[in-house]
Amino acid sequence: MKRIGVGVLQVACLCIFTYAINGITSWLNWSIPGSILGLVILFLLLKFKIISLKWIETGGNWLVAELLLFFIPAAVGILQYKQLIIGNGLKILAVLIISSSIVMVCTGLVAEKLTSRKEKIETHAHDTVLKSHN
Amino acid sequence: MLMILCLSLTISIYFAAKWVYKKRGKVYYSPLVLAPIVLILVLIIFNIPYSTYEEGSKWITALLQPATVALAIPLYKYYPSLKKFFKEIGFCVLIGSILAILISSFLSKLLKLDHSLSASIIPYSITTPIAMNIASIIGGVPTITAVFVILTGIIGMVLGPVIIIQFHLKSDIAKGVLLGISAHGAGTAKALEFSTGAGAIASICMILAAMISFIISPLIPFFI
Repeated sequence: MKRIGVGVLQVACLCIFTYAINGITSWLNWSIPGSILGLVILFLLLKFKIISLKWIETGGNWLVAELLLFFIPAAVGILQYKQLIIGNGLKILAVLIISSSIVMVCTGLVAEKLTSRKEKIETHAHDTVLKSHN
Repeated sequence: MLMILCLSLTISIYFAAKWVYKKRGKVYYSPLVLAPIVLILVLIIFNIPYSTYEEGSKWITALLQPATVALAIPLYKYYPSLKKFFKEIGFCVLIGSILAILISSFLSKLLKLDHSLSASIIPYSITTPIAMNIASIIGGVPTITAVFVILTGIIGMVLGPVIIIQFHLKSDIAKGVLLGISAHGAGTAKALEFSTGAGAIASICMILAAMISFIISPLIPFFI
């Protein structure tokens, strides 16, 4: 019960933090979205130990775990563009699917080649550090 | 009343889809595939206008930004191991961002899509707010871009794991890079399913891809 309370409070803090940054960026007329700037600032605050991970961890992990939920209303929004989808839907899908696939294959292969070479040079097994704790 | 119903319906269908996905593991049960389809059908069958749905569901969308900010947590936890691969990750993002723009503009031309539609498609692979920004700069329609971005997220979630298996990509870095560059936040969520490390890499790639695309966006009009 206490954990839930703490989590909700932390989510509220993250919301306030995010929307405060949003307010500042729009007030300064910056074209950087508040969420991206907020991510970078929060990371720096954690890195330089200005705030402790414990203060936001429970709520923050909830938000990250349910990330997909927050995309759903936008996905339902496709409904507003029925005309466009009936007219050009297949062409649009073709562009998106083909270019996404090419980008994924290229970047994935390049990343695998580059990092496996580096791993061979440095004999340390980095991936033990990188392996999931999930 | 209908508003609250839409809100609670979205949340319950999401958790139901998540439960089914956990049990069956098939990608078409993924919450971002199954839930929107069910919700769209509900709206059509009960003749509920999207504006009414949006009234209720905007409270969910409002959490997207704080959730993006919260990606700082996996980033912070994995920073020491990410630092070693920063150059490699940066290089991949640069290639990926340029490729995404070149290929999508080439294909739009090939399929004879009109100018404003092409300009709305080209920023398809980056995170919504920046994609909308770029779309308006290059003469696209930002709200339509938002739809393409979310579609791309779904495509990346479905095809990304297939590509990872087919091309025998084993490192967390390759998985994170591929999903983060091509499918922004949705890809990051998928990468987190593989491992927290892959998720952290995906979130870095999402940020870098948005920045790089934004910087090179003034060059895009030369391609359309």
